[in-house]
Amino acid sequence: MAENGYLLELKDVSRHFGGLVAVDGISYGVRKGEVRGIIGPNGAGKTTLFNVITGELKPTAGRIYLKGEDITGLPAHIICEKGMSRTFQLTFIFPEMTVFECVWVGVYSRARRPWDLFFSRTDPSGPIAEKAQRIIHTVGLEEKTHEMASNLSYGDQKVLEIAMALSTDPVILLLDEPTQGVGPGEVDTIINLVERLSKEMSIVLIEHDMDIVARLCHNVTVLSFGKMIAEGTCEAVSRNEEVQRIYLGEKIVCS
Amino acid sequence: MQRERVYRYFALGFLVLLAVLGLVLPTGARSLMIQIMIFGIFAMGYDVCLGYTAQCSLGHSLFFGSGAYACVLSVMHLKAGLLTALAISVGTGFVLAALLGPICVRLSEAYFVIVTAIIAAVFHLLAMDLVWLTGGDDGLCFSIPSLKLGFGDLSLYKPLANYYFVLFFMALTYFVLARILHAPLGKIFVAIRENPKRALFLGYNVTRYKLIAFVVSGMVAALAGGLYALTLRYCSADYMGFYWSVLPVVWCLIGGQGTLVGSWIGVALMSLFQYYVSAWFTYYLLLFGVLVLIILSVSRKGILGYIASRVR
Repeated sequence: MAENGYLLELKDVSRHFGGLVAVDGISYGVRKGEVRGIIGPNGAGKTTLFNVITGELKPTAGRIYLKGEDITGLPAHIICEKGMSRTFQLTFIFPEMTVFECVWVGVYSRARRPWDLFFSRTDPSGPIAEKAQRIIHTVGLEEKTHEMASNLSYGDQKVLEIAMALSTDPVILLLDEPTQGVGPGEVDTIINLVERLSKEMSIVLIEHDMDIVARLCHNVTVLSFGKMIAEGTCEAVSRNEEVQRIYLGEKIVCS
Repeated sequence: MQRERVYRYFALGFLVLLAVLGLVLPTGARSLMIQIMIFGIFAMGYDVCLGYTAQCSLGHSLFFGSGAYACVLSVMHLKAGLLTALAISVGTGFVLAALLGPICVRLSEAYFVIVTAIIAAVFHLLAMDLVWLTGGDDGLCFSIPSLKLGFGDLSLYKPLANYYFVLFFMALTYFVLARILHAPLGKIFVAIRENPKRALFLGYNVTRYKLIAFVVSGMVAALAGGLYALTLRYCSADYMGFYWSVLPVVWCLIGGQGTLVGSWIGVALMSLFQYYVSAWFTYYLLLFGVLVLIILSVSRKGILGYIASRVR
Protein backbone atom coordinates (compact mmCIF):
# COMPACT_ATOMS: atom_id res chain seq x y z
CA MET A 1 0.00 0.00 0.00
CA ALA A 2 1.20 3.48 -0.82
CA GLU A 3 2.05 5.84 2.04
CA ASN A 4 -0.87 8.06 1.21
CA GLY A 5 -3.25 5.15 1.64
CA TYR A 6 -4.39 4.97 -1.96
CA LEU A 7 -4.97 1.57 -3.47
CA LEU A 8 -5.22 3.03 -6.95
CA GLU A 9 -3.78 6.40 -7.72
CA LEU A 10 -3.73 8.45 -10.91
CA LYS A 11 -1.39 11.41 -11.25
CA ASP A 12 -2.16 13.87 -14.04
CA VAL A 13 -3.19 11.15 -16.46
CA SER A 14 -4.00 12.26 -20.01
CA ARG A 15 -4.82 10.41 -23.16
CA HIS A 16 -4.89 12.05 -26.57
CA PHE A 17 -6.20 10.63 -29.83
CA GLY A 18 -4.49 12.86 -32.36
CA GLY A 19 -5.89 16.29 -31.56
CA LEU A 20 -8.69 14.98 -29.40
CA VAL A 21 -8.04 15.00 -25.68
CA ALA A 22 -10.17 12.17 -24.34
CA VAL A 23 -8.77 12.19 -20.83
CA ASP A 24 -7.31 15.46 -19.65
CA GLY A 25 -4.97 15.61 -16.68
CA ILE A 26 -6.92 13.51 -14.24
CA SER A 27 -5.65 12.95 -10.72
CA TYR A 28 -7.68 10.48 -8.79
CA GLY A 29 -7.29 8.14 -5.87
CA VAL A 30 -9.24 5.17 -4.59
CA ARG A 31 -8.75 3.95 -1.03
CA LYS A 32 -9.18 0.45 0.24
CA GLY A 33 -12.83 -0.49 0.69
CA GLU A 34 -14.15 2.55 -1.15
CA VAL A 35 -16.88 2.46 -3.76
CA ARG A 36 -16.40 5.31 -6.20
CA GLY A 37 -18.74 6.37 -8.93
CA ILE A 38 -17.84 8.05 -12.20
CA ILE A 39 -20.60 9.86 -14.04
CA GLY A 40 -20.66 12.18 -16.98
CA PRO A 41 -22.43 12.70 -20.30
CA ASN A 42 -21.74 10.49 -23.32
CA GLY A 43 -18.26 11.01 -24.70
CA ALA A 44 -16.96 12.44 -21.44
CA GLY A 45 -14.09 9.96 -21.47
CA LYS A 46 -15.30 7.57 -18.78
CA THR A 47 -14.61 4.37 -20.66
CA THR A 48 -11.38 5.76 -22.08
CA LEU A 49 -10.28 6.43 -18.51
CA PHE A 50 -10.99 2.78 -17.66
CA ASN A 51 -9.08 1.67 -20.73
CA VAL A 52 -6.10 3.75 -19.67
CA ILE A 53 -6.18 2.48 -16.08
CA THR A 54 -6.46 -1.19 -17.05
CA GLY A 55 -3.70 -1.06 -19.63
CA GLU A 56 -5.71 -1.39 -22.81
CA LEU A 57 -4.50 2.07 -23.79
CA LYS A 58 -1.26 3.66 -22.71
CA PRO A 59 -1.64 7.11 -21.18
CA THR A 60 -0.13 9.95 -23.20
CA ALA A 61 1.04 11.58 -19.98
CA GLY A 62 0.85 10.96 -16.26
CA ARG A 63 1.44 7.97 -14.03
CA ILE A 64 -0.77 5.28 -12.54
CA TYR A 65 -0.03 3.44 -9.31
CA LEU A 66 -1.63 0.29 -7.96
CA LYS A 67 -0.84 -0.49 -4.32
CA GLY A 68 1.90 2.11 -4.58
CA GLU A 69 3.53 0.34 -7.50
CA ASP A 70 3.91 2.15 -10.82
CA ILE A 71 1.84 0.26 -13.41
CA THR A 72 1.88 2.91 -16.15
CA GLY A 73 2.13 1.35 -19.59
CA LEU A 74 2.19 -2.27 -18.44
CA PRO A 75 0.29 -4.70 -20.66
CA ALA A 76 -3.28 -5.47 -19.61
CA HIS A 77 -2.68 -9.07 -18.57
CA ILE A 78 0.10 -8.04 -16.16
CA ILE A 79 -2.08 -5.35 -14.60
CA CYS A 80 -4.78 -7.97 -14.16
CA GLU A 81 -2.32 -10.26 -12.39
CA LYS A 82 -1.50 -7.44 -10.00
CA GLY A 83 -5.08 -7.40 -8.79
CA MET A 84 -7.16 -5.17 -11.05
CA SER A 85 -10.23 -6.54 -12.78
CA ARG A 86 -12.79 -4.96 -15.03
CA THR A 87 -16.04 -5.52 -16.83
CA PHE A 88 -17.04 -4.00 -20.14
CA GLN A 89 -19.89 -1.82 -21.27
CA LEU A 90 -21.04 -4.41 -23.77
CA THR A 91 -21.09 -7.90 -22.36
CA PHE A 92 -17.76 -9.53 -22.81
CA ILE A 93 -18.09 -13.23 -22.14
CA PHE A 94 -17.08 -16.45 -23.85
CA PRO A 95 -20.36 -17.31 -25.66
CA GLU A 96 -19.50 -20.90 -26.56
CA MET A 97 -18.40 -21.89 -23.06
CA THR A 98 -20.48 -22.87 -20.06
CA VAL A 99 -20.83 -20.53 -17.09
CA PHE A 100 -18.55 -22.83 -15.14
CA GLU A 101 -15.88 -22.83 -17.84
CA CYS A 102 -15.97 -19.05 -18.18
CA VAL A 103 -15.23 -18.63 -14.48
CA TRP A 104 -12.85 -21.58 -14.39
CA VAL A 105 -10.63 -19.98 -17.04
CA GLY A 106 -10.37 -16.85 -14.92
CA VAL A 107 -9.53 -18.73 -11.72
CA TYR A 108 -6.97 -20.80 -13.58
CA SER A 109 -5.28 -17.66 -14.81
CA ARG A 110 -4.07 -16.97 -11.27
CA ALA A 111 -3.39 -20.59 -10.37
CA ARG A 112 -1.61 -21.71 -13.51
CA ARG A 113 1.77 -23.30 -13.52
CA PRO A 114 3.69 -23.96 -16.73
CA TRP A 115 3.99 -27.71 -16.21
CA ASP A 116 0.30 -28.47 -15.85
CA LEU A 117 -0.75 -26.31 -18.75
CA PHE A 118 -0.34 -29.05 -21.35
CA PHE A 119 -1.22 -32.33 -19.73
CA SER A 120 -3.11 -31.88 -16.48
CA ARG A 121 -6.81 -32.64 -16.42
CA THR A 122 -9.46 -29.99 -16.03
CA ASP A 123 -11.41 -32.14 -13.63
CA PRO A 124 -14.61 -30.83 -12.07
CA SER A 125 -13.20 -31.22 -8.56
CA GLY A 126 -9.95 -29.83 -7.20
CA PRO A 127 -9.17 -26.42 -5.73
CA ILE A 128 -9.56 -24.41 -8.96
CA ALA A 129 -12.97 -25.88 -9.73
CA GLU A 130 -14.09 -25.42 -6.12
CA LYS A 131 -13.15 -21.80 -6.22
CA ALA A 132 -14.98 -21.34 -9.50
CA GLN A 133 -18.08 -22.93 -7.92
CA ARG A 134 -17.78 -20.62 -4.93
CA ILE A 135 -17.68 -17.55 -7.15
CA ILE A 136 -20.68 -18.77 -9.14
CA HIS A 137 -22.49 -19.19 -5.81
CA THR A 138 -21.51 -15.69 -4.68
CA VAL A 139 -23.08 -14.12 -7.75
CA GLY A 140 -26.08 -16.46 -7.61
CA LEU A 141 -25.73 -18.27 -10.93
CA GLU A 142 -25.41 -21.73 -9.37
CA GLU A 143 -28.53 -23.05 -11.10
CA LYS A 144 -27.05 -22.12 -14.47
CA THR A 145 -23.57 -23.51 -13.85
CA HIS A 146 -23.64 -25.75 -16.89
CA GLU A 147 -25.62 -23.51 -19.24
CA MET A 148 -23.90 -22.11 -22.30
CA ALA A 149 -23.02 -18.51 -21.61
CA SER A 150 -24.72 -17.46 -24.85
CA ASN A 151 -28.02 -18.97 -23.66
CA LEU A 152 -28.21 -16.76 -20.57
CA SER A 153 -30.48 -13.73 -20.36
CA TYR A 154 -28.80 -10.38 -20.87
CA GLY A 155 -28.94 -9.63 -17.16
CA ASP A 156 -27.41 -12.98 -16.28
CA GLN A 157 -24.66 -12.36 -18.82
CA LYS A 158 -23.86 -9.12 -17.02
CA VAL A 159 -23.73 -11.03 -13.74
CA LEU A 160 -21.52 -13.66 -15.34
CA GLU A 161 -19.19 -10.91 -16.47
CA ILE A 162 -18.87 -9.73 -12.89
CA ALA A 163 -18.22 -13.33 -11.83
CA MET A 164 -15.46 -13.56 -14.43
CA ALA A 165 -13.97 -10.31 -13.19
CA LEU A 166 -14.02 -11.74 -9.65
CA SER A 167 -12.32 -14.94 -10.71
CA THR A 168 -8.88 -13.36 -10.88
CA ASP A 169 -8.92 -12.34 -7.20
CA PRO A 170 -9.01 -8.59 -7.67
CA VAL A 171 -8.31 -6.04 -4.95
CA ILE A 172 -10.00 -3.43 -7.09
CA LEU A 173 -12.87 -3.93 -9.47
CA LEU A 174 -13.76 -1.56 -12.30
CA LEU A 175 -17.35 -1.89 -13.49
CA ASP A 176 -18.34 -0.18 -16.73
CA GLU A 177 -22.11 0.37 -16.60
CA PRO A 178 -23.02 -2.95 -15.01
CA THR A 179 -26.77 -2.29 -15.24
CA GLN A 180 -26.97 -0.86 -18.74
CA GLY A 181 -29.74 -2.41 -20.80
CA VAL A 182 -30.84 -4.72 -18.00
CA GLY A 183 -34.47 -5.17 -16.98
CA PRO A 184 -35.69 -3.62 -13.68
CA GLY A 185 -35.83 -6.86 -11.69
CA GLU A 186 -32.32 -7.80 -12.68
CA VAL A 187 -30.99 -4.33 -11.90
CA ASP A 188 -31.75 -4.95 -8.23
CA THR A 189 -29.88 -8.26 -8.33
CA ILE A 190 -26.83 -6.54 -9.73
CA ILE A 191 -26.99 -3.67 -7.24
CA ASN A 192 -27.24 -6.12 -4.34
CA LEU A 193 -24.31 -8.05 -5.74
CA VAL A 194 -22.15 -4.95 -6.03
CA GLU A 195 -23.14 -3.94 -2.52
CA ARG A 196 -22.02 -7.31 -1.17
CA LEU A 197 -18.77 -7.20 -3.11
CA SER A 198 -17.96 -3.73 -1.84
CA LYS A 199 -17.33 -5.25 1.58
CA GLU A 200 -14.42 -7.22 0.17
CA MET A 201 -12.80 -4.95 -2.39
CA SER A 202 -12.62 -1.44 -3.73
CA ILE A 203 -14.96 -0.73 -6.60
CA VAL A 204 -15.01 1.97 -9.25
CA LEU A 205 -18.29 2.20 -11.08
CA ILE A 206 -19.27 4.00 -14.27
CA GLU A 207 -23.00 4.55 -14.21
CA HIS A 208 -25.62 6.72 -15.85
CA ASP A 209 -28.37 6.25 -13.33
CA MET A 210 -27.96 8.69 -10.44
CA ASP A 211 -30.19 6.61 -8.17
CA ILE A 212 -27.90 3.66 -8.46
CA VAL A 213 -24.83 5.80 -7.92
CA ALA A 214 -26.43 7.31 -4.83
CA ARG A 215 -27.24 3.88 -3.44
CA LEU A 216 -23.83 2.39 -3.97
CA CYS A 217 -21.13 5.00 -3.95
CA HIS A 218 -19.45 6.90 -1.14
CA ASN A 219 -18.00 9.33 -3.53
CA VAL A 220 -18.77 10.52 -7.03
CA THR A 221 -16.58 12.02 -9.72
CA VAL A 222 -18.04 13.91 -12.65
CA LEU A 223 -16.22 13.93 -15.97
CA SER A 224 -16.92 16.22 -18.88
CA PHE A 225 -14.84 16.44 -22.05
CA GLY A 226 -12.11 14.45 -20.36
CA LYS A 227 -11.79 16.80 -17.41
CA MET A 228 -12.76 16.17 -13.83
CA ILE A 229 -15.21 18.93 -12.98
CA ALA A 230 -16.53 17.85 -9.62
CA GLU A 231 -15.84 15.36 -6.92
CA GLY A 232 -17.47 14.66 -3.61
CA THR A 233 -20.44 13.05 -1.99
CA CYS A 234 -23.45 12.46 -4.14
CA GLU A 235 -25.41 15.36 -2.66
CA ALA A 236 -22.55 17.81 -2.95
CA VAL A 237 -22.01 16.88 -6.57
CA SER A 238 -25.66 17.13 -7.50
CA ARG A 239 -25.81 20.66 -6.04
CA ASN A 240 -22.78 21.70 -8.05
CA GLU A 241 -23.84 24.33 -10.61
CA GLU A 242 -21.49 23.25 -13.35
CA VAL A 243 -22.68 19.68 -13.06
CA GLN A 244 -26.28 20.82 -13.34
CA ARG A 245 -25.42 22.89 -16.39
CA ILE A 246 -23.73 19.96 -18.10
CA TYR A 247 -26.74 17.78 -17.57
CA LEU A 248 -28.70 20.54 -19.39
CA GLY A 249 -30.84 21.62 -16.55
CA GLU A 250 -31.84 18.07 -15.92
CA LYS A 251 -32.52 18.07 -12.23
CA ILE A 252 -30.32 15.54 -10.52
CA VAL A 253 -32.01 14.37 -7.40
CA CYS A 254 -30.11 12.48 -4.85
CA SER A 255 -32.25 10.12 -2.90
CA MET B 1 -19.56 -32.32 -21.87
CA GLN B 2 -21.94 -33.95 -24.31
CA ARG B 3 -20.38 -32.49 -27.42
CA GLU B 4 -16.86 -33.51 -26.48
CA ARG B 5 -18.09 -37.05 -25.99
CA VAL B 6 -19.53 -37.15 -29.52
CA TYR B 7 -16.17 -36.07 -30.91
CA ARG B 8 -14.33 -38.67 -28.86
CA TYR B 9 -16.58 -41.56 -29.88
CA PHE B 10 -16.36 -40.47 -33.48
CA ALA B 11 -12.56 -40.34 -33.33
CA LEU B 12 -12.24 -43.75 -31.69
CA GLY B 13 -14.74 -45.26 -34.11
CA PHE B 14 -12.90 -43.79 -37.07
CA LEU B 15 -9.54 -45.11 -35.84
CA VAL B 16 -10.94 -48.62 -35.26
CA LEU B 17 -12.56 -48.54 -38.69
CA LEU B 18 -9.22 -47.61 -40.24
CA ALA B 19 -7.48 -50.40 -38.36
CA VAL B 20 -9.98 -52.95 -39.71
CA LEU B 21 -10.02 -51.54 -43.24
CA GLY B 22 -6.25 -51.94 -43.46
CA LEU B 23 -6.69 -55.71 -43.48
CA VAL B 24 -9.52 -55.98 -45.97
CA LEU B 25 -8.94 -53.26 -48.55
CA PRO B 26 -7.31 -53.94 -51.92
CA THR B 27 -3.99 -52.21 -52.56
CA GLY B 28 -5.34 -49.31 -54.60
CA ALA B 29 -7.94 -48.32 -52.05
CA ARG B 30 -5.43 -48.86 -49.29
CA SER B 31 -3.05 -46.28 -50.69
CA LEU B 32 -5.98 -43.87 -50.90
CA MET B 33 -6.64 -44.52 -47.22
CA ILE B 34 -2.99 -43.87 -46.39
CA GLN B 35 -3.31 -40.50 -48.06
CA ILE B 36 -6.47 -39.78 -46.11
CA MET B 37 -4.75 -40.61 -42.84
CA ILE B 38 -1.78 -38.36 -43.57
CA PHE B 39 -4.07 -35.50 -44.53
CA GLY B 40 -6.07 -36.25 -41.41
CA ILE B 41 -2.97 -35.59 -39.33
CA PHE B 42 -2.34 -32.35 -41.22
CA ALA B 43 -5.97 -31.33 -40.73
CA MET B 44 -5.99 -32.03 -36.99
CA GLY B 45 -2.92 -29.87 -36.55
CA TYR B 46 -4.45 -27.14 -38.65
CA ASP B 47 -7.62 -27.18 -36.60
CA VAL B 48 -5.63 -26.30 -33.49
CA CYS B 49 -4.84 -23.05 -35.25
CA LEU B 50 -8.10 -22.35 -37.08
CA GLY B 51 -10.73 -23.98 -34.89
CA TYR B 52 -9.26 -23.43 -31.45
CA THR B 53 -7.64 -20.02 -31.64
CA ALA B 54 -9.40 -18.61 -34.72
CA GLN B 55 -6.20 -17.98 -36.64
CA CYS B 56 -6.83 -18.68 -40.31
CA SER B 57 -3.35 -19.36 -41.59
CA LEU B 58 -2.72 -19.62 -45.31
CA GLY B 59 0.90 -20.50 -44.71
CA HIS B 60 0.73 -24.06 -43.52
CA SER B 61 2.10 -25.39 -46.80
CA LEU B 62 5.41 -24.00 -45.54
CA PHE B 63 5.35 -26.38 -42.58
CA PHE B 64 4.04 -29.28 -44.63
CA GLY B 65 6.64 -28.77 -47.36
CA SER B 66 9.56 -28.18 -45.05
CA GLY B 67 8.56 -31.19 -42.97
CA ALA B 68 8.65 -33.25 -46.14
CA TYR B 69 12.03 -31.86 -47.17
CA ALA B 70 13.50 -32.23 -43.69
CA CYS B 71 12.55 -35.89 -43.80
CA VAL B 72 13.83 -36.53 -47.33
CA LEU B 73 17.08 -34.61 -46.92
CA SER B 74 17.91 -36.18 -43.59
CA VAL B 75 17.38 -39.65 -45.05
CA MET B 76 19.41 -38.81 -48.19
CA HIS B 77 22.29 -36.89 -46.70
CA LEU B 78 22.43 -37.82 -43.04
CA LYS B 79 21.46 -41.47 -43.54
CA ALA B 80 18.93 -40.97 -40.79
CA GLY B 81 16.57 -43.74 -39.76
CA LEU B 82 12.85 -43.33 -40.32
CA LEU B 83 11.95 -42.23 -36.84
CA THR B 84 14.92 -39.89 -36.63
CA ALA B 85 13.92 -38.38 -39.97
CA LEU B 86 10.37 -37.81 -38.75
CA ALA B 87 11.69 -36.28 -35.53
CA ILE B 88 13.80 -33.93 -37.64
CA SER B 89 10.64 -33.06 -39.62
CA VAL B 90 8.76 -32.16 -36.47
CA GLY B 91 11.78 -30.24 -35.18
CA THR B 92 11.94 -28.26 -38.42
CA GLY B 93 8.25 -27.42 -38.09
CA PHE B 94 8.86 -26.31 -34.53
CA VAL B 95 11.81 -24.07 -35.41
CA LEU B 96 10.10 -22.46 -38.42
CA ALA B 97 6.83 -21.85 -36.56
CA ALA B 98 8.64 -20.51 -33.50
CA LEU B 99 10.68 -18.13 -35.67
CA LEU B 100 7.92 -16.96 -37.99
CA GLY B 101 5.05 -17.16 -35.51
CA PRO B 102 6.00 -14.08 -33.49
CA ILE B 103 5.73 -12.01 -36.66
CA CYS B 104 2.33 -13.41 -37.58
CA VAL B 105 0.35 -14.05 -34.42
CA ARG B 106 0.27 -10.48 -33.20
CA LEU B 107 -1.55 -9.46 -36.38
CA SER B 108 -5.31 -9.39 -36.44
CA GLU B 109 -7.48 -11.48 -38.71
CA ALA B 110 -7.01 -10.38 -42.33
CA TYR B 111 -3.43 -9.25 -41.80
CA PHE B 112 -2.59 -12.59 -40.27
CA VAL B 113 -4.02 -14.40 -43.30
CA ILE B 114 -2.10 -12.24 -45.76
CA VAL B 115 1.23 -12.33 -43.97
CA THR B 116 1.17 -16.10 -43.48
CA ALA B 117 0.33 -16.52 -47.17
CA ILE B 118 3.18 -14.22 -48.19
CA ILE B 119 5.72 -15.95 -45.97
CA ALA B 120 4.77 -19.33 -47.40
CA ALA B 121 4.97 -17.92 -50.93
CA VAL B 122 8.49 -16.64 -50.29
CA PHE B 123 9.62 -20.04 -49.10
CA HIS B 124 7.89 -21.72 -52.03
CA LEU B 125 9.86 -19.55 -54.48
CA LEU B 126 13.01 -20.25 -52.53
CA ALA B 127 12.43 -23.99 -52.77
CA MET B 128 11.80 -23.67 -56.52
CA ASP B 129 15.10 -21.82 -56.96
CA LEU B 130 17.40 -23.92 -54.80
CA VAL B 131 17.35 -26.77 -57.29
CA TRP B 132 20.67 -28.22 -56.05
CA LEU B 133 19.06 -28.80 -52.66
CA THR B 134 15.38 -29.33 -53.31
CA GLY B 135 15.27 -30.58 -56.85
CA GLY B 136 12.90 -27.68 -57.58
CA ASP B 137 9.81 -28.56 -59.53
CA ASP B 138 11.09 -32.01 -60.47
CA GLY B 139 11.59 -32.87 -56.86
CA LEU B 140 13.65 -35.56 -55.26
CA CYS B 141 13.15 -39.31 -55.33
CA PHE B 142 14.77 -41.31 -52.62
CA SER B 143 14.79 -44.76 -51.17
CA ILE B 144 13.84 -45.28 -47.58
CA PRO B 145 15.58 -47.48 -45.08
CA SER B 146 13.54 -50.07 -43.27
CA LEU B 147 12.39 -49.46 -39.78
CA LYS B 148 14.44 -51.40 -37.25
CA LEU B 149 12.24 -52.74 -34.52
CA GLY B 150 13.49 -54.98 -31.72
CA PHE B 151 12.02 -58.11 -33.28
CA GLY B 152 12.85 -57.45 -36.91
CA ASP B 153 12.81 -55.00 -39.78
CA LEU B 154 9.73 -53.30 -41.12
CA SER B 155 9.92 -52.09 -44.68
CA LEU B 156 7.59 -49.32 -45.71
CA TYR B 157 7.72 -50.63 -49.26
CA LYS B 158 5.17 -53.14 -48.09
CA PRO B 159 1.82 -51.35 -48.38
CA LEU B 160 0.44 -53.02 -45.26
CA ALA B 161 3.41 -51.92 -43.15
CA ASN B 162 3.13 -48.43 -44.56
CA TYR B 163 -0.58 -48.36 -43.74
CA TYR B 164 -0.17 -49.24 -40.08
CA PHE B 165 2.91 -47.07 -39.73
CA VAL B 166 0.85 -44.04 -40.79
CA LEU B 167 -2.15 -45.15 -38.73
CA PHE B 168 0.09 -45.35 -35.68
CA PHE B 169 1.14 -41.73 -36.16
CA MET B 170 -2.43 -40.63 -36.77
CA ALA B 171 -3.57 -42.21 -33.51
CA LEU B 172 -0.54 -40.83 -31.67
CA THR B 173 -1.17 -37.31 -32.96
CA TYR B 174 -4.84 -37.58 -32.06
CA PHE B 175 -4.19 -38.72 -28.50
CA VAL B 176 -1.51 -36.11 -27.87
CA LEU B 177 -3.59 -33.26 -29.29
CA ALA B 178 -6.77 -34.40 -27.54
CA ARG B 179 -4.84 -34.52 -24.27
CA ILE B 180 -3.48 -31.01 -24.78
CA LEU B 181 -6.85 -29.60 -25.81
CA HIS B 182 -8.59 -31.12 -22.80
CA ALA B 183 -5.88 -29.76 -20.53
CA PRO B 184 -6.12 -26.14 -19.34
CA LEU B 185 -4.32 -25.05 -22.49
CA GLY B 186 -7.27 -26.09 -24.64
CA LYS B 187 -9.69 -24.14 -22.47
CA ILE B 188 -7.49 -21.07 -22.77
CA PHE B 189 -7.38 -21.51 -26.55
CA VAL B 190 -11.17 -21.62 -26.71
CA ALA B 191 -11.44 -18.60 -24.42
CA ILE B 192 -9.13 -16.68 -26.75
CA ARG B 193 -11.14 -17.77 -29.77
CA GLU B 194 -14.38 -16.71 -28.13
CA ASN B 195 -13.18 -13.32 -26.93
CA PRO B 196 -9.49 -12.40 -27.03
CA LYS B 197 -9.98 -9.13 -25.21
CA ARG B 198 -11.80 -10.75 -22.31
CA ALA B 199 -9.06 -13.39 -22.10
CA LEU B 200 -6.47 -10.62 -21.98
CA PHE B 201 -8.31 -8.95 -19.11
CA LEU B 202 -8.43 -12.25 -17.25
CA GLY B 203 -4.66 -12.09 -17.18
CA TYR B 204 -3.71 -14.19 -20.20
CA ASN B 205 -0.97 -13.14 -22.54
CA VAL B 206 -3.07 -13.74 -25.64
CA THR B 207 -0.17 -13.39 -28.09
CA ARG B 208 1.81 -16.07 -26.30
CA TYR B 209 -1.05 -18.57 -26.37
CA LYS B 210 -1.75 -17.88 -30.03
CA LEU B 211 1.92 -18.55 -30.68
CA ILE B 212 1.74 -21.85 -28.79
CA ALA B 213 -1.22 -22.91 -30.95
CA PHE B 214 0.60 -21.82 -34.10
CA VAL B 215 3.73 -23.77 -33.18
CA VAL B 216 1.85 -26.95 -32.21
CA SER B 217 -0.04 -26.71 -35.47
CA GLY B 218 3.15 -26.16 -37.46
CA MET B 219 4.80 -29.20 -35.87
CA VAL B 220 1.88 -31.46 -36.74
CA ALA B 221 1.81 -30.13 -40.32
CA ALA B 222 5.52 -30.90 -40.62
CA LEU B 223 4.95 -34.43 -39.32
CA ALA B 224 2.27 -34.91 -41.97
CA GLY B 225 4.69 -33.60 -44.60
CA GLY B 226 7.35 -36.05 -43.48
CA LEU B 227 4.94 -38.99 -43.59
CA TYR B 228 3.68 -37.94 -47.01
CA ALA B 229 7.22 -37.83 -48.40
CA LEU B 230 7.99 -41.24 -46.89
CA THR B 231 4.85 -42.77 -48.34
CA LEU B 232 5.42 -41.43 -51.86
CA ARG B 233 9.23 -41.73 -51.60
CA TYR B 234 9.18 -38.37 -53.30
CA CYS B 235 9.13 -34.70 -52.47
CA SER B 236 9.07 -31.55 -54.56
CA ALA B 237 8.91 -27.80 -54.16
CA ASP B 238 5.26 -28.10 -55.09
CA TYR B 239 4.53 -29.26 -51.51
CA MET B 240 5.10 -25.68 -50.42
CA GLY B 241 2.62 -24.33 -52.95
CA PHE B 242 -0.51 -22.41 -52.15
CA TYR B 243 -2.71 -25.43 -52.90
CA TRP B 244 -1.40 -27.16 -49.78
CA SER B 245 -2.29 -24.13 -47.68
CA VAL B 246 -5.87 -24.01 -48.87
CA LEU B 247 -6.57 -27.72 -48.50
CA PRO B 248 -6.56 -27.79 -44.68
CA VAL B 249 -8.89 -24.79 -44.55
CA VAL B 250 -11.39 -26.63 -46.73
CA TRP B 251 -11.07 -29.86 -44.72
CA CYS B 252 -11.72 -28.04 -41.46
CA LEU B 253 -14.64 -26.05 -42.83
CA ILE B 254 -16.38 -29.16 -44.17
CA GLY B 255 -15.77 -31.39 -41.19
CA GLY B 256 -16.27 -28.79 -38.51
CA GLN B 257 -13.68 -26.43 -37.13
CA GLY B 258 -12.96 -26.54 -33.45
CA THR B 259 -13.79 -30.24 -33.25
CA LEU B 260 -10.25 -31.55 -33.84
CA VAL B 261 -11.43 -34.71 -35.59
CA GLY B 262 -14.27 -33.31 -37.70
CA SER B 263 -11.73 -32.43 -40.33
CA TRP B 264 -11.24 -36.16 -40.95
CA ILE B 265 -14.66 -36.16 -42.56
CA GLY B 266 -13.56 -33.25 -44.73
CA VAL B 267 -10.40 -35.08 -45.70
CA ALA B 268 -12.22 -38.30 -46.49
CA LEU B 269 -14.93 -36.57 -48.51
CA MET B 270 -12.47 -34.54 -50.52
CA SER B 271 -10.08 -37.41 -51.17
CA LEU B 272 -12.84 -39.80 -52.21
CA PHE B 273 -14.40 -37.11 -54.36
CA GLN B 274 -11.08 -36.43 -56.02
CA TYR B 275 -10.42 -40.13 -56.54
CA TYR B 276 -13.75 -41.10 -58.04
CA VAL B 277 -15.19 -37.95 -59.62
CA SER B 278 -12.02 -36.57 -61.19
CA ALA B 279 -11.92 -39.71 -63.35
CA TRP B 280 -14.99 -38.68 -65.33
CA PHE B 281 -15.21 -34.93 -64.70
CA THR B 282 -12.14 -32.71 -65.01
CA TYR B 283 -13.66 -29.77 -63.23
CA TYR B 284 -14.55 -31.81 -60.16
CA LEU B 285 -13.32 -29.03 -57.85
CA LEU B 286 -16.15 -26.90 -59.16
CA LEU B 287 -18.66 -29.47 -57.96
CA PHE B 288 -16.79 -29.77 -54.73
CA GLY B 289 -16.97 -26.03 -54.18
CA VAL B 290 -20.74 -26.17 -54.51
CA LEU B 291 -20.83 -29.05 -52.05
CA VAL B 292 -18.80 -27.01 -49.54
CA LEU B 293 -21.19 -24.09 -49.88
CA ILE B 294 -24.19 -26.34 -49.31
CA ILE B 295 -22.63 -27.90 -46.23
CA LEU B 296 -21.71 -24.54 -44.75
CA SER B 297 -25.13 -23.05 -45.44
CA VAL B 298 -26.74 -25.92 -43.53
CA SER B 299 -24.31 -25.73 -40.63
CA ARG B 300 -21.52 -23.27 -40.03
CA LYS B 301 -19.92 -25.80 -37.75
CA GLY B 302 -19.41 -28.35 -40.50
CA ILE B 303 -20.63 -31.92 -40.62
CA LEU B 304 -19.41 -33.18 -37.26
CA GLY B 305 -20.41 -29.94 -35.55
CA TYR B 306 -23.90 -30.39 -36.98
CA ILE B 307 -24.13 -33.99 -35.79
CA ALA B 308 -22.92 -33.02 -32.31
CA SER B 309 -25.50 -30.26 -32.04
CA ARG B 310 -28.23 -32.77 -32.94
CA VAL B 311 -27.22 -35.39 -30.38
CA ARG B 312 -29.01 -35.32 -26.96
